[in-house]
Amino acid sequence: MSRHLTLASALLAAACATTPVEKPLPKDAAQITPDTLAELVARPPPPPVPVPYTPLPKVEPMALVLVPVPGKPIVSVRLVFRAGSVDDPPGKEGLTALTTRVLVEGGTASLSSSQLLEALYPMAAELSGDTDKEFTTLAGRVHVERLPRFLEIISEVLLAPRFDPKELARLQAEQLSAIRTRLRGENDEELGKAGLDALLYPRHPYGHFTGGTEKGLEAITLDDVKAHWKSVFTQDRLIIGLAGGVDDALAQKVKQALRKLPATGVARAPLPPAPGVRGATLILQRDTLSTAGSFGFSTAMRRDQPGFFALMMTLSYFGEHRQEHGVLFQELRDKRGLNYGTYAYAQHFRQDGWSSIPLPNIARSEQDVSIWLRPVEAKHGLFATRGVLYFLDQLRNAPIPAHRFETARGFLIGATRQWVLTDQRRLGWAIDDVLYGTPDFLGHLRKALETITPEQVQATAKRELAPELLNFVFVTKDAEGLQAALVSQAPTPISYSTSKPAELLSTDKRIATTPLPLHPGLIRVVPASEFMRE
Amino acid sequence: MRRVLWLSLLLASSALAAPKKAKPKDAPLLPFPVQASTLKNGLTVLRVQFASPGLLAWYTAVRVGSRNEVEAGHTGFAHFFEHMMFRGTKRFPEGARGQLLGKLGFVENAYTSDDVTVYQVNGPSSALETLVDVEADRFMHLEYSEPAFQTEAKAVLGEYHKNAANPALKMEEAVLGAAFTQHTYRHTTLGFYEDIQAMPSRYEYSKTFFQRWYTPDNCVLIIVGDFDDAKVMELIEKHYGPWQGKAASTSPTVEPPQTAARTASLSWSTPTLPRLGLYWHVPAASPKTSDGAVMQVLGAYLAGPTSPLYKALVLEQQLVERLGESDDLHRDPHLFGVEAKLKDEAHRAAVEQAIAGAVALVAKGTVDAKRLSDIKDHLRFGLLMGLETPAQIADALAWHVGVLGAPDALETLARKIQAVTAKDLTAFAKKHLTEKNRTTLVFTVDVKGGAK
Repeated sequence: MSRHLTLASALLAAACATTPVEKPLPKDAAQITPDTLAELVARPPPPPVPVPYTPLPKVEPMALVLVPVPGKPIVSVRLVFRAGSVDDPPGKEGLTALTTRVLVEGGTASLSSSQLLEALYPMAAELSGDTDKEFTTLAGRVHVERLPRFLEIISEVLLAPRFDPKELARLQAEQLSAIRTRLRGENDEELGKAGLDALLYPRHPYGHFTGGTEKGLEAITLDDVKAHWKSVFTQDRLIIGLAGGVDDALAQKVKQALRKLPATGVARAPLPPAPGVRGATLILQRDTLSTAGSFGFSTAMRRDQPGFFALMMTLSYFGEHRQEHGVLFQELRDKRGLNYGTYAYAQHFRQDGWSSIPLPNIARSEQDVSIWLRPVEAKHGLFATRGVLYFLDQLRNAPIPAHRFETARGFLIGATRQWVLTDQRRLGWAIDDVLYGTPDFLGHLRKALETITPEQVQATAKRELAPELLNFVFVTKDAEGLQAALVSQAPTPISYSTSKPAELLSTDKRIATTPLPLHPGLIRVVPASEFMRE
Repeated sequence: MRRVLWLSLLLASSALAAPKKAKPKDAPLLPFPVQASTLKNGLTVLRVQFASPGLLAWYTAVRVGSRNEVEAGHTGFAHFFEHMMFRGTKRFPEGARGQLLGKLGFVENAYTSDDVTVYQVNGPSSALETLVDVEADRFMHLEYSEPAFQTEAKAVLGEYHKNAANPALKMEEAVLGAAFTQHTYRHTTLGFYEDIQAMPSRYEYSKTFFQRWYTPDNCVLIIVGDFDDAKVMELIEKHYGPWQGKAASTSPTVEPPQTAARTASLSWSTPTLPRLGLYWHVPAASPKTSDGAVMQVLGAYLAGPTSPLYKALVLEQQLVERLGESDDLHRDPHLFGVEAKLKDEAHRAAVEQAIAGAVALVAKGTVDAKRLSDIKDHLRFGLLMGLETPAQIADALAWHVGVLGAPDALETLARKIQAVTAKDLTAFAKKHLTEKNRTTLVFTVDVKGGAK
């Protein structure tokens, strides 16, 4: 059973864990004294501030996005449906993802699931499905020689699913296992990210894991899947993307075939605004060697909003995904060896497979800014968290070194060209441009980056990245110890077995006492084994 | 770091061949010519012109991996050293290299496997001269301080931590530890936890490691994309030409033949699914033999998505959540395996029997010709599918030349795959997939308080 700690129990933990400060702190370090701690704990939690958003633009039914590459012998198909986990009916969480898998893997009217595999295999044809919060993508690739048969298969997958009860049972069991074992037990980092969604979006359709909840999945029947297929895999929710060896005639042929989908289904209810939770903490407890962190907040800033290019540059400078030059990577990994990396994102991020490239077509009406602290030795978990906060403060208030800024800017301009080298990625970004109403987003981003200045970045950080907006998710073993430490705000000094420059050690003293902008009354400890139960 | 075992199907998509249609018998299977040259100092340079306007991939394959960690207590060193290669030189000290390449728009990464370490740089052709200068400099003049070395060792520990929650790492350790008694393949590429913890004290050894293996005759440059070939070769001659040194001759101890079946047991204390793995020692994937090609076809034949085993265990009886093969190519004799994630511990015996039965059928000479042909078609078409960008092409070339040693290794393997016959599969299974040559992974789940 999850333990929802009350303010009273949080206070008790605080009382046990407050430790005396042995050494005088640097003058500019924040002093946490018993008085200010009492004040902090007694203070009512900050009220949530709902984050307004504008709906994504409407797109005409079965809009076509074509990216022809003359002479290319491979055809890429990308069918993006405005159907995601937000469309899961309450009590049936996971239905959209499960329906997608039943379509893509469960066989068609003329092909059993094994026959479907046998048909695709000799062509080395690829066909996959992915469900995110608001969109589901069916992606396929085939050599042009085998295109006619491949298109027949894709059409059948969507228009004439087999709905074999045995396949439903298999896929349902696998999706349950993905929650019970893989999410909760085998990947602390993904668990932390799912935890952040849950923390930022309580009682909101974004809150549950896209793969579902244990109870929701258990409740799904074959009739639910059939009904959901008719409701959300409809013409008015579909964008058709084709790339590679394609032309208009082929596009019209594909469009014609997909006209057999229902014109419309169930209208999606408008999403409520993000609750705007601030200063909340979720500690997911499991038996693990280290402490993993995901921090963030909901934001009204989206890629179609003025100022987004500057926000993207700011977060890229602060912690570009898996790149050495980011401030967080430099400071926490390269200088201090705390972990494998720490990164920051201006919009919701998923990595595309094994690459370090962002996955397209996971558009969200409501966005979040997040920071991913990769696993740290548990004893340094809180120091590393304070490190993130300290360098966030530096980003907002200390001069940004020109050479580091130039590196981050040059990198982002160059990296965006690498993001669109495959046909699937080109298509994905072109489709995103339609979803967000941002034609040639990457081109405009590169242009904007050419003239952006460190001052603009800093102003953006000051305006958009206030630390008190942050919420914190930790995955760790000693949840109670961590909770007590968070409540006490006691300094978390660090020592190294290797020699470090005096300047770094001096900075560490400031880091060790950096205030944690979280409220003791909003700390929740949940055993990982209970996460996404319902 | 590239993981080698447990449903690691990474290479299934890169060891591929081109469509057969309308190709003369001797026409190359790769859809592009690969130009190969060797400098006087032994450095091999492979180039592929590819339509990627303004962009290129610049990869360096070093024929070193955890296979070369011959001294006790130094496991994980090849991978650790890969990290150190980003630390700097006299001309481009700590951070300067990354800043310079980043500013120019280059994206960098690297990975280490059992046999090869690959450095990957992708970016603008227009900055070629700077790139060649900076890359040659780090391979010839790497320099880092002891504190920087010690700090990076901690980051490697962080990498271990990030992987440790997944049972795959411990399973790999258990299987390799049981199957190998002498050869360095007995440890994973990431290394043992205690060795990683001791890494900060190995500063002097790290210099020895660099001198031993980071030599021109042990490296291959791979350049793919939009560039002027003559200009590239001129720059390479200029910057890499003065590089001197010969790779060490230190070799791992030869693994003695296994004479009796072994078991690798591992129990997991947090909720997950039990696993079963059957592994057999198999020959090295030399370009001079067909063993690597046969093994890859056999992996798909036994455990691929169209195999009778997959159909029975995953789709029909639903005893297994995932089924896969472990058939990565290796420079020395390694393992071939079939792996299953069991839905319930109670299914272990039945699944083991089914896998053993499928192996026995092939060994007795029962091979479905249609399936064999489909597998070869799959690998042929997959070639074009997997070689869509300069990075993908450079990666495929780097891996194959790194493991197999020959500049035309990818093409050769693709041809050998197309030549695999039913008799080859039977002969391979009969000779290698025997009871006494087998190591069985028994991964069980024992959660205190009961698993769900």
